[in-house]
Amino acid sequence: MPSLILRRFGFAAFTIGFVSIVMFAAVEALPGNVCTSFLQRFAQGPRLERCIEQQGLERPALVRYGDWVAGAVQGDFGYSLKKRKPINELIRERFRNTALLGGLAALLAIPFAIFFGIAAGVRRDRPLDLSLSGAAMLAMTIPEFVTATALIYVFAIVLQWFPAVTIVSPGAGFMQMLPNIVLPVLVLSAVLVAHIMRMMRASVIDVMASDYVHMARLKGVPERQIIWKHVVPNAMIPALNVIALTIAWLLAGVVVVEKVFNYPGLGTLMIQAIFDRDLPLVQAIALIFSVIYVGVNLAADLAALALDPRLRRKGH
Amino acid sequence: MKKSLLLSAAIALASTAATAETLRIPHELGFGGSESMDPISPQRFYEAIQNVYSRLVRQGEDGRPSPDLALEWSATPDAKEWTFKLRPDVTFHNGNAFTAEDVAFSLMRTQSETIDSPTKGVMGIIDHVEAVDPLTVKVVLKDSHADFPLLTMDYRIKMLDAETCGGDLDALCESGNGTGPFELTGLDALGTTTMKRFENYYGSKAGVENLELIAIADQDARVAALQAGQIDLVYSVSAEQVPLFANNPDFTVQSVPSGRWVGLVMNTQTEPFIDPRVRKAIRMSADRDALGKLVYGKGGFIVSCDHPVWTGDQYRKEIDCSRDVDGARALLAEAGYADGLKVELFVSDISEGAVKMAEVLQNQAKDAGIEIELVPAPADGYWGDVWMKEAFFATGWSQRPADQILNEAYRSGAAWNETAWNSADFDAKLDAARSELDFGKRKELYGELQKELWETGGSFIPVHLNITRVLSSKIGGLPPVEGFSIRYEDVTKNGSGS
Repeated sequence: MPSLILRRFGFAAFTIGFVSIVMFAAVEALPGNVCTSFLQRFAQGPRLERCIEQQGLERPALVRYGDWVAGAVQGDFGYSLKKRKPINELIRERFRNTALLGGLAALLAIPFAIFFGIAAGVRRDRPLDLSLSGAAMLAMTIPEFVTATALIYVFAIVLQWFPAVTIVSPGAGFMQMLPNIVLPVLVLSAVLVAHIMRMMRASVIDVMASDYVHMARLKGVPERQIIWKHVVPNAMIPALNVIALTIAWLLAGVVVVEKVFNYPGLGTLMIQAIFDRDLPLVQAIALIFSVIYVGVNLAADLAALALDPRLRRKGH
Repeated sequence: MKKSLLLSAAIALASTAATAETLRIPHELGFGGSESMDPISPQRFYEAIQNVYSRLVRQGEDGRPSPDLALEWSATPDAKEWTFKLRPDVTFHNGNAFTAEDVAFSLMRTQSETIDSPTKGVMGIIDHVEAVDPLTVKVVLKDSHADFPLLTMDYRIKMLDAETCGGDLDALCESGNGTGPFELTGLDALGTTTMKRFENYYGSKAGVENLELIAIADQDARVAALQAGQIDLVYSVSAEQVPLFANNPDFTVQSVPSGRWVGLVMNTQTEPFIDPRVRKAIRMSADRDALGKLVYGKGGFIVSCDHPVWTGDQYRKEIDCSRDVDGARALLAEAGYADGLKVELFVSDISEGAVKMAEVLQNQAKDAGIEIELVPAPADGYWGDVWMKEAFFATGWSQRPADQILNEAYRSGAAWNETAWNSADFDAKLDAARSELDFGKRKELYGELQKELWETGGSFIPVHLNITRVLSSKIGGLPPVEGFSIRYEDVTKNGSGS
């Protein structure tokens, strides 16, 4: 069992390492380098040479990769030429803001989703299920930027209840963030709820049709007890993976939603970095996203191990 | 804080009267938060320095220099020594008097090697500055320059207080202590920068009590913020966004000519473009009006004839460059391409509309027997790998005054001479124009240079771009002039609440 967990951790570390290689190689493969992308039209003569020397670009790619990884492991992602700041400093607050947005959305969405999923699954094909499932399909199919734009139009432009875009200073407290965060959290939650609810519903329906639920029914166990004791725990296992995947999806969704709402998170920073061709910053954020992605999936694996004794046996 | 007040007010649907006298303008975070209050820093915080500092001279309505901190100026006959008479009784925000010493300090620091300001090149013409008396300053140039006041009109050549800056020519001075219509009360480049009206301003006092510069990096977000009433204007919206505001009584849409241009460049030292007839033929094959409409939309451009001087510039020369397909064919035949010409054009998404422009020219040039093959190049590394390396490629330039753009892009040997234009006669005329003190004659000389670029130059500059600005209809006193000429002290806001 400990070896199994260790193996999962090892695999996660390997994945992140591989991603870092791919990312570094991709940036290397781009035409130009950090200096030409920063200096643009000024990339000629002594200015360019000075920059290349300061950035240590004359060293072989492998050495630079080694340096970068060594720095990243210690939490030092280097320096953004464009923003004239250490990348750590740029990222810290943005990370907090994105975590706040994603965390609130997940916190709000997951309980609702599970509850709706159970309700829909138990009342399969009845009006409650049909309306919940219909709403979920709608939320899943409409892209989040459309939902966001629609919400901005109604609540910010017409009703003026909430600000359309986030205007806060760095270091703004939670209370200052709150009015700005309502609409983005709603947009993200809508998609989260839809995905998780659909999965939960399907898995509740599966379990309801299983032999042990039949058995419990025949034994005369009350329906409420069947649902909460037998159906829900078993239905949670497949749903866990979807929750993990959906939270990982949050990362992509957050980029779009942050951009629409001008929210000062990692997503908008990443988009800016890409437009500015601020390559070290792009690498750093991409690496952080991949760590989160892998971390969430790892957590889901471990949770599944905890919930389902069968998975702990060898061979799985 | 006002901001949190505003936000909670929005939530509670309470009165927004607290913001009535506050003009809120966005800034685009061009330097990602490292914006500096030093006007000559490479990261100058343009929207802020524009309002807290003043220049010696500023743009008049005719584009010519008009008095600001300097009331009058004159030159020696060789245009090498310039004397400026300063406005009396001007004080900085901190109460210090504005004197000739401040002018000398502010001009000389542009030369600092340590600061390495983008203004260093242009202002390098200054040899030294003498404070003759507290209100008279003499600037001695290394070379003649009949338009030296025009150089001091640059939006970065602001007058700082030598005392506040510690008199150190090599240090950045980010105090924000200026003589401008607004004084800085809070600097927060990533959030909201606040200013209030300067009561001792030497000109007419600002029409609004407070000014807020709000950081919104994203274009769509700025548009949404304007729609929701979080800001009062957006400097520039895209053609697709105009319908959101057109015919809406809450907004005013302004079309503002600018000096920005996107062009296609032929290297005049490379085959086949080494033959001026080939260059002219390609230019003559273009229908500029049709091209402008297709690429930038109706009202999004003003036709130009392959010279970089824009319509707001006092030296702009109007030339007739209507399409002449037969003429183009005839020139090509003369140059030995009677059976048609095939060229490669390198394009990338580096400036708005560059790719579209190339596609339209490709189609138009076909009629004259010119086959243009478009070679897409990646935007990454474009300025190092393609620009000024290939024979025919796309470019884009921001607004510059006539003398500056002509020297920067067409003087032999200039670092950004992208057409490899090499004409001793052209250089001589540039020098002649600089030392010609008579405005009429100077204008004629600059006109000849523009004409020459149309006849034989290597640039294809079909249009100059217009900017579409959108204002809340509560805003008054903001005429459709380009950004550098906006006078925020004249702007008023009808704050009856929303």
